Amino acid sequence: MKKIIVEGLKYKYPLAEALALNDVTFHVEQGEFIGIIGKNSAGKSTLCQALVGLVPHFYKGAYGGKVIVDGLEVKNRSIADISLKVGMVFQNPFSQVTGSKMTVYEEIAFGLENIGIPRSEIIDRIDSVLNLLKIEQVKNHNPFDLSGGQMQRMAIASIIAMKPEILVLDEPTSQLDPAGSEEVFQAIQSLSKQGITVILAEHKMEKVAQYCDRVLLLNDGKIVDFATPEKIFSREDLEEQGISAPVYTRVCKALGVKKTGTDEYPVTLEDAEKALRGRVV
Amino acid sequence: MKSISLYEERASFVHDVDPITKLWYILFAILIPIILPSFTISFLFVGISLVLLLAAQVIRKTIPVFGFVFLILITVVIIQGMFKPENETVLFQIGPLTMYKEGLLYALTITLRVINIIGAFMILILTTKPSDLVESLVRKGMSPRIGYVISSVFQIIPEMMSSMGTIMDAQRARGMETEGNLLVRIKAFLPLLGPVVLGSLINTKERAMALEVRGFNSQVPKTYLYEEKKYRYSRALQIAMLLLTVTALAWRIFL
Amino acid sequence: MIKVSNLSFSYGKGTPLLSGINLEFDQRSTAIIGQNGAGKTTFVKLLKGLLKADEGEVTIQDRDIKTETAAELAKTIGLVFQNPNDQIFKRSVLDEVMFGPLNIKLDKARAREYAFQALKMVELDDKLESNPHDLSLSEKKLLCIASIVAMDPDIIILDEPTIAQDHSGKEKIRQIIKTLKDRNKLVMTIIHDMDFVAENFERTIVFNEGRVLLDGDTRQVFSQKEMLEKANVEPPGITQLAEKLGFKDTILTVEEFINMK
Repeated sequence: MKKIIVEGLKYKYPLAEALALNDVTFHVEQGEFIGIIGKNSAGKSTLCQALVGLVPHFYKGAYGGKVIVDGLEVKNRSIADISLKVGMVFQNPFSQVTGSKMTVYEEIAFGLENIGIPRSEIIDRIDSVLNLLKIEQVKNHNPFDLSGGQMQRMAIASIIAMKPEILVLDEPTSQLDPAGSEEVFQAIQSLSKQGITVILAEHKMEKVAQYCDRVLLLNDGKIVDFATPEKIFSREDLEEQGISAPVYTRVCKALGVKKTGTDEYPVTLEDAEKALRGRVV
Repeated sequence: MKSISLYEERASFVHDVDPITKLWYILFAILIPIILPSFTISFLFVGISLVLLLAAQVIRKTIPVFGFVFLILITVVIIQGMFKPENETVLFQIGPLTMYKEGLLYALTITLRVINIIGAFMILILTTKPSDLVESLVRKGMSPRIGYVISSVFQIIPEMMSSMGTIMDAQRARGMETEGNLLVRIKAFLPLLGPVVLGSLINTKERAMALEVRGFNSQVPKTYLYEEKKYRYSRALQIAMLLLTVTALAWRIFL
Repeated sequence: MIKVSNLSFSYGKGTPLLSGINLEFDQRSTAIIGQNGAGKTTFVKLLKGLLKADEGEVTIQDRDIKTETAAELAKTIGLVFQNPNDQIFKRSVLDEVMFGPLNIKLDKARAREYAFQALKMVELDDKLESNPHDLSLSEKKLLCIASIVAMDPDIIILDEPTIAQDHSGKEKIRQIIKTLKDRNKLVMTIIHDMDFVAENFERTIVFNEGRVLLDGDTRQVFSQKEMLEKANVEPPGITQLAEKLGFKDTILTVEEFINMK
């Protein structure tokens, strides 16, 4: 089943001269884990925001083409409606805290109160996401007192509690330390395993290669390629696109070692090890 | 977590009373002495408020507030006592300064009024969680957006204060002198304003987006995590206050 | 250039954030790594005089920093903060970068010259009159580096320079660090990006729970797998790959890996 359909999407921010997104078309199946990569200002954040309706509803601006998420056409629905289908987690863990709640527990309830979930169900849902994101031990803490990794997991929990079928994350670990970012990736992966469709904009190519089923490469608001991580990172023009492949791919490329039986280079530590074993040393 | 809320967690019946009834009490404590402007009534209300604050075990927290208020009231007493135009009856003299009875009585009225109002507000502020108050008001029909603004201020201002520290450090790191006399300090303050304001604007935009995707503008009727805080005698207390106010009005008009 | 002896720090009476730090810094470019909360930022703030130590002393070029204010130290040691929005307040890029040099009492012409040179180094010299707030986040970070470089301190500390940088942004940071090193500056960097550490820094210090857990040549530090694990630090990807394949030496870069073959 097609979970996300984007057809000919064009978008220009108000006051901007250039198109932020230029004729973007792609489809995503239910349960896929999709990575969005590209250099800064390639359009990654804009595309993420177009999936939850912040583009165009929050910014206004010129909009063409269509985005359909789980059957809803984004252009014709309010962000509140779309938020029941698509959840979004932003880069900065601090600015996602509502600031109106005194505990993590209450913070997670915020969205559920807004969309009118009955009280007893709110409590059930909070308990289940606290468990899922492994933040039970801090449920009575003030949201601002958490570590970055915990705060970002709280942000994900707050979104997941609203039971969206699609989760969009815009560089969720860029401001976290390696341990915090690992916590967050583990959490996202476990959500993906439960069948949630995940869209992740990310700079850390090793992580993209490790977790994503398919990768969407953007440049100047256009889709350059949409394929498996192996195919994307085996491209010869990555430098021109302003990105670099995972270090494992770079080394295999330099040595001309491909994944056995394919025309592509390995992209993860495990695959690189397999491919290189016996070939070097 | 530092918070600018003055709420004190205690177990007392005053804490158990719902926020709306406490709001009623503030109104009640302000209205009655206006309707019936006698010293007895004013003293009575000051007394009631103090007893309630004592019962709530928060009287210690009121000391700095009352201390500050007294400082201002003393100037009122001195100015009215000496210079009120209606002053006639000399009460006492200290050197060239003369205190008059009319002025002092007037100052006493003001003092009692102010203490009374402050006392009533303190009961609300010290014994009610800000979030409970806001939630009660939203339940009574206040816009959730306004409710959000009020309750977020309690947390976001302390956050801004702490980011102020980082910003100050960033400028000191570039050789700006922040230690020294008042002029140096004032000069140091200006470069801080830009980043503080801008930083909070950027955060506001990001926060606004984060709120949107959590259904902040949903048209569905809102629900609440906590059950409405109800006090067994709320209704009775509110009716009693209403009746007493009506009685006071009647007393004033017909007697 | 810097000598730190028996340095300890705590906020109020809480558990110490740093205790018993003894370090000496020469001109080797140095990466400071470790988990959040390990004490990295506290440590550089102490060096910079933004915090005052409870115990121990720091001397920079044989001067005890206790006797100087953070502002006076600015001529010798510069610190680029992680979040550029905490710093930027002028209306133009050039003014922003001139702010520091003017603070340390350089005359206007020299301040301008230094600012221009610094902006050239970070490749923002085509944007002198732009409003800093119109720059992208990665450009803002470069601007903040320039505004410290323009003060020409002997020691430059960067806090997480690679956050928000894409591939080409990282390349620029790499170049900047190299240029500064060539000018005999001590470049110290707090950083979470281990691949970048391996490729660019001669020395690496690992902080853990307020103490120095490891300190030495980057290669030697990344060879200590168990110790790194204790500090919750993962060695760079290429190092892990080489180790899995049974390479005897610790590998830090793709080039080394290929040459080993």
